[in-house]
Amino acid sequence: MTYLTVVWRAFQLQALLSRRSPAHLLILLIAPMQTTSLLAMTLQAHRPDAVATAVIAPGLIGLWVSSLDYAGRVVPEDQWAGRFTPMIAAPVPLTLVVAGRVTAVVLVGAMAFGESWLVAALGFGRVLTVHNPGVFAAAVLATCLASVGTAMLMSGVISLSRARDVLQNSLSYPFYILGGIVFPLTVLPAWMRPFSHLVFLSWSARLLRDSVHGTAHDWPLALATILALGTAALAGGMWLTHRLVNLARHKGTVGYA
Amino acid sequence: MEAAVAASSLRRTYERRRKDAVVALDDLTLTIARNEIHGLLGPNGAGKTTLVKILSTVLLPTSGTARILGHDVVAETKAVRSLIGLVLGGDRGLYDRLTARRNLLFWGSLYKLDARTVRRRADALLERVGLAERADEPVERFSRGMRQRLHLARGLLHEPQVLFLDEPTSGLDPVAAVAFRRLVRELRDEGRTFLLATHDMDEATALCDRVSLIDRGHLLLTDDTANVGRILGDRECVDFVHEDDSLARALAVLPPVIDVERLDDRWRAHTVDREGSRRVLAWLVERDVLTGRRAQPTLEEVYLRTVGDRGMRV
Repeated sequence: MTYLTVVWRAFQLQALLSRRSPAHLLILLIAPMQTTSLLAMTLQAHRPDAVATAVIAPGLIGLWVSSLDYAGRVVPEDQWAGRFTPMIAAPVPLTLVVAGRVTAVVLVGAMAFGESWLVAALGFGRVLTVHNPGVFAAAVLATCLASVGTAMLMSGVISLSRARDVLQNSLSYPFYILGGIVFPLTVLPAWMRPFSHLVFLSWSARLLRDSVHGTAHDWPLALATILALGTAALAGGMWLTHRLVNLARHKGTVGYA
Repeated sequence: MEAAVAASSLRRTYERRRKDAVVALDDLTLTIARNEIHGLLGPNGAGKTTLVKILSTVLLPTSGTARILGHDVVAETKAVRSLIGLVLGGDRGLYDRLTARRNLLFWGSLYKLDARTVRRRADALLERVGLAERADEPVERFSRGMRQRLHLARGLLHEPQVLFLDEPTSGLDPVAAVAFRRLVRELRDEGRTFLLATHDMDEATALCDRVSLIDRGHLLLTDDTANVGRILGDRECVDFVHEDDSLARALAVLPPVIDVERLDDRWRAHTVDREGSRRVLAWLVERDVLTGRRAQPTLEEVYLRTVGDRGMRV
């Protein structure tokens, strides 16, 4: 049995848990509402050039919420429920289990892309025409992969934090801004842009919008950056998860019981 | 032959901010032979769970060593984890929204079992712990006893050689507890070794080959369960049941009687020797008290005498 099989089993576990937990599917309830709001504002302002932003933003928000909120809860929930101790006592590294589970969580968030597309098409009669479909598909795929890496990182950060709820509540909105999800980064103050470039969402949002408009001329760089930032986040997340286990074994904080 | 568990001078402290560290285990040395059911007794906060956690690799010792079937729990963590099973008591520790079978399939993958093997073992274990008919129900519908049995099935999935059970029958009804103990004996007969941390003296007496008593991190005694009463010395005593306190007072002044004490459900007269016990029994019979019998201290009495001054303190 390979480590990849462990990741797959953990993925299956999370898919089952999410299916049985309505709270995990809230993203899918919220995404159509967000699409409706953003599209309504866009159309009322007579800005057809911003329709792509209104349709793509809920998908990116869904990915970020799933990475931050739901992936961040994977380990703490196991700790509270007394599952962490037997998990640590098993020979398989916890990192693999977390990786499989956050992947499933992120995929639920990614479904928001499809939903917002449907809301635009069926609700507003606005079918987004993608001028570079290949680049668009690659951008969605890279964004999902980077989200998995970021979800892993957020899981580690939140699990190690003593102020989990505060962290989860306060980290959503700043990243919508830094990620240029609802408006382009060019409208941000110049001093904020370097920070934005460290957030994969900013590259994803721009690449997705540009591929819709047919202006994604620097797509190889954007794709490579998205994947590089995702890989860095994944490595950081794996290290943090490993550190979480080591700290728990040193300090005796494996379980809350 | 290598011992199943060999702990030597184990010490574990928990650091606290601006306070002295808490010593959870202090210089604890313990050896458990293969194929033994070993009871670990002690009050809350005695260090039982800390010891179980160190032996099951989820906690690092501050100093000292511990080996499981010859493998060091710190240096050879991976090897140890494949050899041990950890069964924690209580309602928690499972994925409540998933079925019993699904739980086992997931936990099996953490021991690198292939899908076919884990399915086969899960079916067999569910049958063995009496959950086969409820295997496809969500665990959230299970009673505490059913959860305990599922915990045990999870701990057995990878066929470990050494099992650590932490309060495995707490909250079980008597019938379920008896069935649980029978199952543990069967598993021992298959060659497994058990370390059973418990507060339940009846359980330890019924199940364990040997017991260790720990308190405040110190190992107070380790002995065969049948002989553990010796810790209180070869004291002679006579137990009897009687409602009248005056009878006990009258008995207390007899020459061979050292003292008479009130136990939960009976009186106990401590005597100077065997002849003294015979005379006390005769004295009781003369007064139509036919419930008298020679007695030896039970495991519970040893426990209460050794750590009984603790009250509710931890």
